[in-house]
Amino acid sequence: MKTFAGFHGRYWRFDLGTGTGAYIPLDEAVLRRFLGGVGLGAWLLHRESPAGVDPLAPEAALVFAFSPLVGTPLTTSAKFAVVAKSPLTGMISDSLSSSHFAIHGKRMGVDAIVLVGACAQPSVLVDGALRPTDLWGRSSEEACAALAPYGTVAAIGVAGEHLVRYATISNDGRHAGRGGLGAVMGAKKLKAIVVRGEVRTELSDAPAVLAIAKDLSKRSFGPATAKYRELGTVGNLLAFNRLAALPTRNFQSGTFDQAAALSAEQLAPTRAKAKRSCASCTIGCEHIYAFGDAKSVRVEYENVFALGPLCGIGDPDAVLAASKRCDDLGLDTISAGGTIAFAMECAERGLIAGPRFGDAAGLMALLEDIAHRRGLGALLAEGSRRAAEAIGSGSIDFAPQVKGMELPGYEPRALQTMALGFAVGTRGADHNRSGAYELDFSDTVDRLKGSPEAARLAAGTEDRAALMDALILCKFLRGVFTDLYAESAAMLRAVTGWDVTAAELVATSARIVALKKAFNIREGWTPASDTLPKRFLSEGLPDGASKGALIPRERLQDMVRAYNRARGWTDDGWLPDTVYEELAL
Amino acid sequence: MAHSAIVLCGGLSSRMGRPKALLPWRGRTLVEHVVATLRTVVDDVVVVTSSELDLPRLDAVVVRDREPKLGPLSGLRDGLAAASNDLAFATATDAPFLSAGFVRTMLGFGRAAAPVVEGFVQPLSAVYPRALTTTADALIAAGRMRLLHLLEAADFRSVAADELPEVESTRNLNTPDEYLGAVRRDDPGARAQVELFGLMRTTSGAATIDVDAGTLGEILDRVQSDFPMLRLRAAGEVAKNILVSLNGQAFVRDASLPVGAGDCILLMDAAVGG
Ligand code: SF4
Repeated sequence: MKTFAGFHGRYWRFDLGTGTGAYIPLDEAVLRRFLGGVGLGAWLLHRESPAGVDPLAPEAALVFAFSPLVGTPLTTSAKFAVVAKSPLTGMISDSLSSSHFAIHGKRMGVDAIVLVGACAQPSVLVDGALRPTDLWGRSSEEACAALAPYGTVAAIGVAGEHLVRYATISNDGRHAGRGGLGAVMGAKKLKAIVVRGEVRTELSDAPAVLAIAKDLSKRSFGPATAKYRELGTVGNLLAFNRLAALPTRNFQSGTFDQAAALSAEQLAPTRAKAKRSCASCTIGCEHIYAFGDAKSVRVEYENVFALGPLCGIGDPDAVLAASKRCDDLGLDTISAGGTIAFAMECAERGLIAGPRFGDAAGLMALLEDIAHRRGLGALLAEGSRRAAEAIGSGSIDFAPQVKGMELPGYEPRALQTMALGFAVGTRGADHNRSGAYELDFSDTVDRLKGSPEAARLAAGTEDRAALMDALILCKFLRGVFTDLYAESAAMLRAVTGWDVTAAELVATSARIVALKKAFNIREGWTPASDTLPKRFLSEGLPDGASKGALIPRERLQDMVRAYNRARGWTDDGWLPDTVYEELAL
Repeated sequence: MAHSAIVLCGGLSSRMGRPKALLPWRGRTLVEHVVATLRTVVDDVVVVTSSELDLPRLDAVVVRDREPKLGPLSGLRDGLAAASNDLAFATATDAPFLSAGFVRTMLGFGRAAAPVVEGFVQPLSAVYPRALTTTADALIAAGRMRLLHLLEAADFRSVAADELPEVESTRNLNTPDEYLGAVRRDDPGARAQVELFGLMRTTSGAATIDVDAGTLGEILDRVQSDFPMLRLRAAGEVAKNILVSLNGQAFVRDASLPVGAGDCILLMDAAVGG
């Protein structure tokens, strides 16, 4: 009999090949040690994904992991993780998405859904059964709308169907964006999964949860989240440009001469139409901007950076249109923008024929071609690393990727602690699993001169992110906590009834990071994977407030070593036996 | 006769809160200003600096202080070793009022010489023969770290203030107050700039604001009082919800930090994630 609350203590494993599902119990010890979200998801991936599997093979597992806080009144808690072996990186991909899918998925009476096998024909999974579908070829939004009568839907777009290695899975207008999870679903010929249910988990101490939730909501209205509420993440763009940290023209510069035209400061007054939020969120960071002829789109810094400055495009209508098109097609905007920017530089260097920087029409056409794997798009659907391997001529040196995943909008040479975070990140270059940029934007480190000390601190930001991603709470809430670990422990105690402490959660966070690393090692990680493209190690930034900055290889190596030591791993980054014993896989 | 000059900028600048060598002075950095003044008198300038400091391009030979923890004697020794001429005028980098006439007069004594101002020998406005390098090594080995010992070993000529033009040349700046006082006296209209980003720009309607030079706290208070909708200060500190960058380089939070003429303060929202 289950003695803890907040979890159902089981997951649902569904074999798309046989069309049969089973409930599999989850030990309390596993849940306590890995919590939910990316922690539970990574643990299930270890268990359900055969070693060395092709991410697009039927045997590959696709995990949707909920969390102990889903369904509670705690603000920003309606989130879930999608975890699989990434077709882009060959390593773990753990993406988060939000909203009703999390709430209704968990109400199916499970802590996670694991999909294995592949459908014989394009299908949707509704009420525990597969149905053939004619939605194949439609956008994720259309699929979600068509299936809405049956519950809450997560669906892939055309890009996922065509196995684009950075295709997304979409639900409630949000996206599990990075690492090509949509291709994993597409390879399984599953257009959509629909969830609904009525099974709620009890709360161990409901009044305490309510009190914490009230307090947290109150704090979420304070100054720490004002930027997200009032301006949204695109508020980063102009400041990044001023610091020469805005990746421009495939990371050839840190400043973009048309940045002002794409800035929230300039766009918000005329284009902001509405604000939205995920379910159960009091912050509401989604800012909807108008573009073109009465259309609108959710703007995020990452979308605008990747489809704007990175591709040399400064026309806001073009950038917002491209962003909307990525959403419709089911393309990760960061990898799409990064791969196209890479292709644009190749075209400028005469290595391939294709659009050049600033060609907005060329960008739009390429998005279509990538999603349908046509012409040059077929190559670019593979991501910048594979494209560079095919193009050759040293283009890998400026392919903007780590472990195959394209960099987000933080110029590594201008933000060198973040650069370390990119190099060691388990899912590749990533700003959500490492919050190292927070150090660069502080008086603690020198952002233009990465150091071993900064690397040690970067490990701490990764741990805090791992905890938030396992609980799950939105990272935009992080500024309101005075002590994330202690406050998280209080939440977990009230929800689950466990006598969990801050110290336990410190260990839990590090364990989750190690768990993901263990998966990567199993799938072929080597120390050589933890590096950055040569451009960042050898070309100084040409202009602006970071002029001349680069990351000498030895500096990066010193930082990686310091990071590994801080984690108690070997200097090279292998996990010692003690860590494996502790993981108890 | 040809002479050298040595500029020491390896000090910690701990009371100043930012590297003294890089303080703005008359449209450039203090070290550039001092080097340029010296270059009108001497043939070569040696700048001795610590490895942490990124200096602008200078008309000088730049050497790294081999043992910065040992203080100015070690830096002076390294400077003398790199000098091209037998006699060198040595100064700290924070000598904004250093004049060519003063340096010329001091070097004119043709030997080790140091001014005595208000009863105190000024070893960082003094002349040293290059041959003192070995003596400096011996003093360091013996743990006798005061520059005065080196001057005494050379039987220096002590120069009274009334023998010298522009004694102000010996004045150093150690605190924000001393620096800002010098800035205000030198250029009563000195202005710095504040650039606003994100929410601060959209709520105030201002992108850039000119302000009088002052401490960071004074400047934030002034902007805050002109734009009461902003929250820049909390309990005497820089408010947690903002980030402050000095000239797009270091992020700073110390309210006593001096902000001089031509400095630019960037104010950004602290929540940078996205
Ligand atoms: S802050 Fe934004 S991303 Fe986070 S839960 Fe709220 S609406 Fe969703």
